[in-house]
Amino acid sequence: MRDAFVETLLEEAKKDENIILITGDLGFGVLDKFQRELPNQFINSGVNEQAMMGMAAGIASTGKRVFVYSIGNFPTLRCLEQIRNDICLMNNSVVVVSVGAGYAYGPQGYTHHALEDIAVMRALPNLEVVVPADPLETKLVTKFLAGTKSPSYLRLGKSNEQNFNQIEVLISPGRFNELISGESGTILFVGSIGKIALNAAGELLKNGLSVSVASVPFLTSLDKEYLVRASLMGPIITIEEHSRRGGFGSAVLEFLNAEKISASLGIVAAEQRDLSQIGDQEFLRGQNSLYEKKIIEKFKALKGA
Amino acid sequence: MGQSHLIQRPSRFTSASELARAARREIITMTAAAKASHVGSALSVVDILSVLYTGGANVAPANVEDADRDIVILSKGHAASALYSVLSLQGFFPKEWLQRYCENNAPLGGHVTSKGVPGVELSTGSLGHGLPYGLGIAKSRKMSGVTGRVFVIISDGECDEGTTWESAMIANHHNLDNLIVIVDRNRIQSLTSTEETLKLEPFEDKWKAFGWETRIEDGHDYENLLNAFNKSSKPVCVIAETTKGKGVNFMENSVLWHYKSPSEEDVKNAFSQLKVIE
Repeated sequence: MRDAFVETLLEEAKKDENIILITGDLGFGVLDKFQRELPNQFINSGVNEQAMMGMAAGIASTGKRVFVYSIGNFPTLRCLEQIRNDICLMNNSVVVVSVGAGYAYGPQGYTHHALEDIAVMRALPNLEVVVPADPLETKLVTKFLAGTKSPSYLRLGKSNEQNFNQIEVLISPGRFNELISGESGTILFVGSIGKIALNAAGELLKNGLSVSVASVPFLTSLDKEYLVRASLMGPIITIEEHSRRGGFGSAVLEFLNAEKISASLGIVAAEQRDLSQIGDQEFLRGQNSLYEKKIIEKFKALKGA
Repeated sequence: MGQSHLIQRPSRFTSASELARAARREIITMTAAAKASHVGSALSVVDILSVLYTGGANVAPANVEDADRDIVILSKGHAASALYSVLSLQGFFPKEWLQRYCENNAPLGGHVTSKGVPGVELSTGSLGHGLPYGLGIAKSRKMSGVTGRVFVIISDGECDEGTTWESAMIANHHNLDNLIVIVDRNRIQSLTSTEETLKLEPFEDKWKAFGWETRIEDGHDYENLLNAFNKSSKPVCVIAETTKGKGVNFMENSVLWHYKSPSEEDVKNAFSQLKVIE
């Protein structure tokens, strides 16, 4: 996903000299091409996330579109107040980009796991939270973000994610991206964990239960029409590679409540039982309740099947 | 002719000392009316602001929207009343706004508020935000060939914040000679003196070591301050030696006036010490 992001941003930045990319001294082998081709639109700030984010806001205040790139919690939690005051309050045109969603940096340990960022970023006003599912969606949302001015948070996976989407689809806030259409319920997901959602849907189908599966790339602009339809069709399961507290599932719950949509909702999220556990992404997903069986069990229980 | 002893208030001050004198009166009045805090901080920094807004910085109501105007950021947002007073006296926005300071739905909040307030570049209040933001503007201007300078006024207590020193490194690395930091060095922070709280000295050496040109000035001497704002080939740090609560003897050098709002009697006593321009 990070390559899809950088390649797309480079294309857009070549067309628009106001697009600036700042890194907090990360992106070895990933950002080199951008730096080489557009040195005047690239800044390596050094290891100083707070000043970097304030600087990004200041640059944006002069009319530029600034993307700030870093890993995990560094561009979010480390400089939260700069995002809150200097970007959201001042309505500055900055996109905070974090690579390594969830357990993507698995063996590097909890310091490098991004598991609370959605909750924290979602709590900020005037900040669109954007979570593409695969490299293709990453390309589409990056184009979208390059062409707007809204303060945004872009949560990316890492590398070698598979494409769930086969063709370029229309991506916009307020629209879910449905990958499979079913009749007995719905699985909604954010990010590359969609792989588990799709596998679970395959298993359910073997049991005679056809479910819809949709990616939710714009997490702070949910698709009301889709949720109304889904709630009438059957249970809705959300899955996210993120803490249960305040994450994607919470966002859907809040939305259903605010819109007075009655639905049967199950949330699958990272349980975070042992913060110090070491392992790769797949292992840590499995250890933290992020696997197909969790979705299937919850779905069947809610369905009464 | 009986009124001839009164000086007519000009629509815009050209003299920093006259502007500061008028602003001190506004600061005390508005802080008392709003029952607000931080009058000591405002009186500490008001002379610096007065020099900037009487020609020290190239910014006035006529050019406040221009892309190449000088930018002034008051990072010590708790001294908001000083900035509001100076801007209003210089015609950036109506003086009536000062009377509504901190009121419900008023344009001016207790800490520096920028939305809809001409001349205010950044909402501040949490320390350590103004300098990174200002250096961002300075960097962007370098990238785009825009000439105006960026002045960021920080407090000395604010130098406890890591972002101050992160910014000091970044500005030096990027040769931001269009950035000038003015430290309101009144040596008092929230609970006690800066040196008792967290030693800043050797303060000038720190900035020098980070690659900045430093200038130490009397922060209440208008002429010296103006000269200290001259351009350099490096980022400049002006350490303005100031007195917290300057101009009102019972407020000077006192932690209490970081918090206390002036009573009616305090206002009367303060005014008797300030030559008031009507």
